[in-house]
Amino acid sequence: MADLSMTYPKERSETTTSRKSGWWSSYRSRLTPYLFIAPNLLLFSIFVFFPLLYAAYISVHQWSLIDAPEFNGVQNYTRLLSDGQFWQSLTNTVIYSAATVPTSLILGLFLAIGLNRKLAARTLLRSIYFLPVVVSSVATAVIAAWLFNDNYGIINALLKQAGVGPVAWLSSPRWALPSIILTTLWVRIGFCMVVYLAALQSISPSYYEAAVIDGATRPQQFRFVTWPLLRPTTFLLLILNVIYSFQVFDLIYVMTGGGPGFSTTMIVQYIYQAAFASSEMGYASAMGMVLFVLILLFTLIQWRINRRTEQFV
Amino acid sequence: MTQTFDRRTILKAGLGASAGLMVTGRVNSSLAQSPVRLTMAVWGGKAEVEAYNQVIAKYQAANPNVSIRLDVIPFGQFYQQLDTRLAGRQAPDLFRVTYQQVGRYALGKAAIDLSQFIDSGYSAAFTPSVWSAVNYQGKPYALPHHTDTFALFYNADMLAQAGVTVPTSLDQAWTWERFIQVAKLLKEKSIGSYPFAMSWQNSAVHRWMIYLYQHGGQLLNNDLTAPQINTPAGIETIAWTQSWFKEGLVPPSTSVKSAEPVQNLFANGTVAMMLNGNWQIPFVNQQMTKFKWGVTYLPRDVAMADDLGGTCVAISRDSKSPEVAADFLKFLVNEENMRDYISAAQFLPVRKSLVEGGVQYALRPDEMKVFVEQTKTIPQHLVSTVVLPTWGKFNPKLADELDLAFTSGQSPEQTAQNIEAHVKNILLSS
Repeated sequence: MADLSMTYPKERSETTTSRKSGWWSSYRSRLTPYLFIAPNLLLFSIFVFFPLLYAAYISVHQWSLIDAPEFNGVQNYTRLLSDGQFWQSLTNTVIYSAATVPTSLILGLFLAIGLNRKLAARTLLRSIYFLPVVVSSVATAVIAAWLFNDNYGIINALLKQAGVGPVAWLSSPRWALPSIILTTLWVRIGFCMVVYLAALQSISPSYYEAAVIDGATRPQQFRFVTWPLLRPTTFLLLILNVIYSFQVFDLIYVMTGGGPGFSTTMIVQYIYQAAFASSEMGYASAMGMVLFVLILLFTLIQWRINRRTEQFV
Repeated sequence: MTQTFDRRTILKAGLGASAGLMVTGRVNSSLAQSPVRLTMAVWGGKAEVEAYNQVIAKYQAANPNVSIRLDVIPFGQFYQQLDTRLAGRQAPDLFRVTYQQVGRYALGKAAIDLSQFIDSGYSAAFTPSVWSAVNYQGKPYALPHHTDTFALFYNADMLAQAGVTVPTSLDQAWTWERFIQVAKLLKEKSIGSYPFAMSWQNSAVHRWMIYLYQHGGQLLNNDLTAPQINTPAGIETIAWTQSWFKEGLVPPSTSVKSAEPVQNLFANGTVAMMLNGNWQIPFVNQQMTKFKWGVTYLPRDVAMADDLGGTCVAISRDSKSPEVAADFLKFLVNEENMRDYISAAQFLPVRKSLVEGGVQYALRPDEMKVFVEQTKTIPQHLVSTVVLPTWGKFNPKLADELDLAFTSGQSPEQTAQNIEAHVKNILLSS
């Protein structure tokens, strides 16, 4: 009996191990990639995917956060159509994106090309341009608000010295949005510059040597060598910058609060106001879903255009 | 920021507390036989937080089984954080709340009905206006803690330079015309960068209604059932406050949606006068070192009017120990502790005995006297309007419309029409 009791568990254990081993061997190659992405997927699900689903659920409810959600069908979405402030904030967001995205890409590219050459204090200059990117955006906004302050800002102080102004940078509808755009460019140019710089340094010098042998001038080298090889980087920066622009919040929250009037109210600012100032979480979620669809559509269109262009090239 | 106490603080407070409690004798220690932990969420400056801590230390000394944690949240994020915690069923046991917001938390059943914890005659000790402000459908959902109100801070040096003397009694308060005359005189003589500024930023746009009531207007009709803003009085009030910006009498950066702290502009001499509340006295006293300053009465028009400020304290539905929380709350607002709090933090009392008996303020007692007198001018109809449960939703819309009038040239008539529409859609929706 003693022998049997000793033998039986051993046999069972070996069989189980063998089964496990066989199961693992057959599925290993298929499961390993999933195991690698599992932690990221888990975090993505908790912080992005499930909140997105919950936002979609809340968008068809009326909910003030402190009471129970009440189903109201598509009322929040139909209300969007006739809400002038929603369209105004969407228009502001488009204007802001149109002003910041191409400008930061172009200036970032120029800076990257300039700083890719052998210059004195090149590393220092790169650091200076990149500094606003690593500083907290709220800190950047606070500094910018001080710089642009109507009453004691350094910009107005300098203008006063020059016999101009003062300009109501943040308190006039005419100047508030340009002030926000300038601050955004201050941050974004550094980011674009660093990404372009990395891309420029990855281009093999042999392409340029071949172009020189073929008699290409510097503008021609840029047009036929540099620009096509920077296309994936430009595409990435374009997508990222558009997403950043559509999601801009902290700069505006700190600098103008969306005013004066609605001149700097962006879509996320309006969503925030609906959610936390007016306690209309359902309506805010509906706007959030519209923003999600807009960004998704833009990304898909850009992606398709880029694929076609790559095939053409 | 979380405040904690060391043993020494508690022991120190305990000695005073024991004597005080024997007199006031309202702490029911039998409620907390087993250890109880409470959390109280507040906002406030240094003086307010210290005053809260003093009361907490006294209560803990008398109730060793109770520990109370004070969560200090910046005012700008206070309601956002509170609502989020309520949504997650993790709200603090007690929370500070303005009178304008009590109705919203009562309507959403986020604050509990306190009538089960108080005697029938308990309300008689409080001034009627604040007691009505904490009630929703006849039941109290918070206990009044203090009030505050507005008056006119002035830079004494600048006004002397302009040859202007200020009123010294309430019945001599400047009329609107005189106030604007003084402002224009300061502007003509280039004394200060701007004549004055009004503190109505940071969701405090309801303070605009001070002028509406002074001009004989109302946002709602007498029985609070219909808008009454689109009237000559309403339109003229919008036009008058709009003219401050049009004529350069106030800094353009001080409109209702801006984030400009007007007390800074007053303290550094950018503006010669500031319409602001009594809680700014500690700040101005500390920061305004280059000028002499004082406080006089608010301007008046066909009537005097002022704003109901101040806060009360509510118990959240998530409290695990509402009985103990209620016991602490009653302790917080008893006569002795209310007096200590308001004298330390420069607020105004809401207990009749303290209003009648007076409070000794260590800091600027003469200026505080102006604010105390000014509370007599708060219209009851204004109080009833701003404590409607939907006020919180309406407030940002009022800010949007007035900001458009002040900064973007929207006409007073159009502004009144838009506000009227928002009143119908939001304020009267429940």
